[in-house]
Amino acid sequence: MSLDRRRFLQLTALGIITFADSGCDPWDDLSRETDHPQLLMMMLGPQRVRELGRQYLLTTPSEENSSLLYRNIRESSARFGRGRWFGYRAIDDQIRDDFTEGRTVLVDGWVLSVTEARQAALYSLRPVSPAI
Amino acid sequence: MHTDARTLENGTVLQGDLCIVGAGAAGITIAREFANTPLKVLLLEGGGFEFEQQMQDLYRGEIVGQPYFPLQAAALHYFGGTTNHWAGFCATFDDIDFEKRDWVPHSGWPIRRKDLDPFYARAQTILDLGPYKYDPGDWKMGDADRVPLIGDSRAFSTKMWQFSPPTRFGTKYRNEIVNSPNIHLYTHASVVELEANEELTAVRSARIRTFDGKEYSARAPRFVLCCHAIQNARLLLASKAQAPAGLGNSNDLVGRYFMEHFEMPSAELVLARPQTTKTNLYLMEGLGGPPRGELAITPAAQREHRVLHGTASFEAGNYGDPVKSTFQFIDTLMMNAQRAWRNGGMKGPPPMAAAAAATAPREAVPRFYHLMTRQEQTPNPDSRVTLSAEKDALGVPRARLDWRPSDLDKRSIRTFYQLLGREMGRTGTGRIQIKDWLLSDDKTWPSFISGGWHHMGTARMADDPKQGVVDANCRVHSLSNLYIGGSAVYPTAGAVNPTLTLVALALRLADHLKSSRGLA
Repeated sequence: MSLDRRRFLQLTALGIITFADSGCDPWDDLSRETDHPQLLMMMLGPQRVRELGRQYLLTTPSEENSSLLYRNIRESSARFGRGRWFGYRAIDDQIRDDFTEGRTVLVDGWVLSVTEARQAALYSLRPVSPAI
Repeated sequence: MHTDARTLENGTVLQGDLCIVGAGAAGITIAREFANTPLKVLLLEGGGFEFEQQMQDLYRGEIVGQPYFPLQAAALHYFGGTTNHWAGFCATFDDIDFEKRDWVPHSGWPIRRKDLDPFYARAQTILDLGPYKYDPGDWKMGDADRVPLIGDSRAFSTKMWQFSPPTRFGTKYRNEIVNSPNIHLYTHASVVELEANEELTAVRSARIRTFDGKEYSARAPRFVLCCHAIQNARLLLASKAQAPAGLGNSNDLVGRYFMEHFEMPSAELVLARPQTTKTNLYLMEGLGGPPRGELAITPAAQREHRVLHGTASFEAGNYGDPVKSTFQFIDTLMMNAQRAWRNGGMKGPPPMAAAAAATAPREAVPRFYHLMTRQEQTPNPDSRVTLSAEKDALGVPRARLDWRPSDLDKRSIRTFYQLLGREMGRTGTGRIQIKDWLLSDDKTWPSFISGGWHHMGTARMADDPKQGVVDANCRVHSLSNLYIGGSAVYPTAGAVNPTLTLVALALRLADHLKSSRGLA
């Protein structure tokens, strides 16, 4: 399939805007793995994960603060985790540990680990990226 | 030998050595055990060899309490009984099902699983099942895809099922019964009352009535009621000419502790990595297919969380699709359509299969599964069968069913899926979404509350006459010669369909009756 010049420029411009937008993202200081529950995303899709995040915050309004959510996830890792924070692998381990130890919450009927529920909540607080 | 009771002279007295009332799975099983013995067996069946609307209407009853399936559609009233439309699901009760569990009121059988093992093995043949093996490892059949979904779990194991073709007793065993020289089958012989001796210590005769007003009686030294759990209770309660509360009911237990299996859509499963290898073992491949598994909560988890025994079966589907309970899926319209399809030579796909295909998954390798609960019900004395004020065409009060679940029933289903959700997460298998109806309070049940047409209890087994209607040999405590066959005697329901256990108990009862006559 060929791409005409006009379409190419449109897409390029949109890409630059998106890149610039993410560059200005106030969430930059948060690791992507923290606000991106990757397994849930894969299973349920971003829209449903965002809804689950909103549901979690409705039932846990005291955590409706991104910094607090971020801190809770990290503190939970420090308290229950296996050591330092090492990205996706570590958070996957933390989620599994949550399930093993019974640190689960019901969000819209879903049995979620506390960590991934907070991840979903963080994700729901993230501004929606412009559709491409 | 076979006689249509409508051809007998009014007032005829039938005399035998053993009188079995009801020719369904239990009655036919017991009768066959006496074939070619010196004993004359009277086998009394209310219906004929085919479905008759007038006969079926005798099973119509009144429903109070929780909504329930129309009673006249749940059990069949002709030779072969409900095996004429059963689906053939067979699995054994587990050890824990027989135990007294301090968190399950009124639990505990006077017998153990090991007491039934030899009879389970014999029942396999009667029901055209495979070898007496119910360990998942026995059924891999060289297929690497048939592996348990969750390995290494303290909370869940795989409960294996085998599938009868399904065996229609009315078809398969008809000639054997009819041609037996010592089994005397009487069809259209509806027993309307049992008469006891003056001391009320033994049954003397069974009164039989036909639609044209004739009356006969059957006499024998021993009687076995195999009418079906609701109808057994109804007949005992209706036999009140000499005992106002009914025969065998001096402790007000007859009809109580009616139980069902909850069969309801309860959760959704989404897999982390869609693959067939981990779900093949759990999927139905049609009636009479190869053995399959259901996820079952382990005895250890039942004890730890003080919950009932339950399982989950899988139905591949699409997220958000409406899912029906057993009662919703196979309603009376579906039953009629299925019967018409069978009577019409079984042309084209069966209506049930067509309905199931309508909700088939859109993905080749499904990611979503609907999880269906199958769980025992807490024995509850207030869940009961009594007599209605309305009488049937033969003048017998109709049954009145007051089905009452308990808080523990609902809490157990919810706990099951909470634990399953944890296990799915712990093992990285997937995630579970519990249905809304399970998340409300434990007293509220949805309008689609459903059982599996498994009627149990109503004449429960216990060593103590104050706790049960029959003893460990299925003999009514207060009557020296009256026995009960079938699922009416179950003190608890287990988490599996009742037929295999019912047939095993019938074989055990037959052995007991034979040994008491020196025939063992």
